[in-house]
Amino acid sequence: MQRAVERRGIPTVSPSVARDVTEHAKPPRAVFLPFMMGHHFGVPFHRELQRRIILECLDHLVHARESGEIRALPITWAQARKEGVELERLRAEGV
Amino acid sequence: MTETSEGGEAAGRQLRAGLWATVNERYPGSMIDKTDFIPLAPLRKPLSECRLVFISTSGVQPRGTMPFDTVHPVGDYTFRRVPSSSPVEDLEIHQLKYPTVGANRDLNVIFPIERLRELAAEGVIGGLTEHFYSFIGYNMDPERLERTLAEDIAAAVSEEGADIALAAPA
Repeated sequence: MQRAVERRGIPTVSPSVARDVTEHAKPPRAVFLPFMMGHHFGVPFHRELQRRIILECLDHLVHARESGEIRALPITWAQARKEGVELERLRAEGV
Repeated sequence: MTETSEGGEAAGRQLRAGLWATVNERYPGSMIDKTDFIPLAPLRKPLSECRLVFISTSGVQPRGTMPFDTVHPVGDYTFRRVPSSSPVEDLEIHQLKYPTVGANRDLNVIFPIERLRELAAEGVIGGLTEHFYSFIGYNMDPERLERTLAEDIAAAVSEEGADIALAAPA
């Protein structure tokens, strides 16, 4: 999909939680996150993380120099979940 | 003891390892396997002037549109247009092949339409295309997908006047 859009002259980037699948599909640019499938932009209500992942993708879009370049982010799923749980606790308390 | 993702997790390590091989072993030829890289399209203007299109395999679609065929044995090679101005309450997911536990509570974890609207409003990006594009992954014939659906969406995205594309698998 990404390759078809890129061929029409539109630069593309994608987040990936499956580095091996991305390595086989060879999209022009990708950002790898070690997250659960279906959670490419993080965890519920964690706006800051969701935003950060989009911004990392956009930064990679601007700075990647070689086709197929995969940027890896130094984030763990455990950390994302922990922050998500804390945010949910604050939400529940109405903070 | 219950296993958790914290058990020995290291940054950079894929949570669900060996995904490509697992699926391809069970359904030979169903996974995309390219041997070449395609040339990068150049970014022609600053991000703050670029109109962004979001393309997603999440199966997110406006309520009331024809649901994706999530049980067809070979897949559904159609797409839906999702107005980029849609309230999240007007959207729903029709796909069974990925965990929607997070997305069911906050759609932005897989379809970050609200975050993208914020970035456009702040001027980080120049704007959004009128529509985003959605289809379902887990189609079993990657050549057909490349020949039909990928070209159909690429043509539509091009007509929308997109300058850049954020594409997200699910």
